[in-house]
Amino acid sequence: MAAGTATHVYPFMPGGAADDAKLVSGAAVLSDLTDRPRFGLKGGGSAAWLAARGIPLPAVNRIGDHRGMRILRLGNEDILLLAESAAETLAQVKTAWQTTAAPKGYSSWREEGWAWMRLSGPRLAEVMGALCALDLRPGKFGDDDIAQTRVGHIEAVTFRSPAGFDILFDITASAYFARAVAAVAVHTDQYKG
Amino acid sequence: MKLLTCPMNGPRNIDEFQSFGPVRARPDPNATADKEWSRHLFRAENRKGIVLEWWRHVPSNYFFLAERDLVSNEIIRTFDASQLRDRA
Repeated sequence: MAAGTATHVYPFMPGGAADDAKLVSGAAVLSDLTDRPRFGLKGGGSAAWLAARGIPLPAVNRIGDHRGMRILRLGNEDILLLAESAAETLAQVKTAWQTTAAPKGYSSWREEGWAWMRLSGPRLAEVMGALCALDLRPGKFGDDDIAQTRVGHIEAVTFRSPAGFDILFDITASAYFARAVAAVAVHTDQYKG
Repeated sequence: MKLLTCPMNGPRNIDEFQSFGPVRARPDPNATADKEWSRHLFRAENRKGIVLEWWRHVPSNYFFLAERDLVSNEIIRTFDASQLRDRA
């Protein structure tokens, strides 16, 4: 196998379908950030509650920043906070949300519902090009843009990270996604253009 | 590949969308006979012309409206449902 394997997919359910799925490395490197802290709010009152906490909200399909967290606006009332290295700040927001009375939206349960993976590597552009039909070149797709589309034939949210592309999708597709990326990476390795 | 322009996400493969059928007036439950209800629920219109339909962009779960030509299958325009409310 041209593209070696590194680590495993975060097993949400030990013994489940993703338990033995491996993450590819080589032409493309897939890493799993599913165990990193995040918090999603959805439904009426979500945006107003976050704004009242002093969290600046970007436009729909754009990303903002607040105290080390990335603020993803997936819809008017669908907001996701990613805290790869700001766990404490996120914990404060979650605690505040839990102790506030409604209206405050509802938890969209992104911590458990979605897998969070990062695609990088020397041939990232080709591999991502084979996985996603959108034009994601730097001139067309900016650092603060979000694409809600299909990646590897499954519904996903993708955006740029300093290392490459982050991809969020239904956690039940983790094993499938890891295998789909591996297949594309191997193909890319074999047919060097 | 056929494209459909989502008002929120831009042009996408039509494969990313789900159709929810024409926008129709809901019958008044207190003034509708069984026959009319049956017709409303189970029989589809089959006419020529322009239809206004609900569509959903699946990855973002965003519902919007589209005008489509029933003869040529051309999508004439897509827009957010709030525009219909504003016009009414």
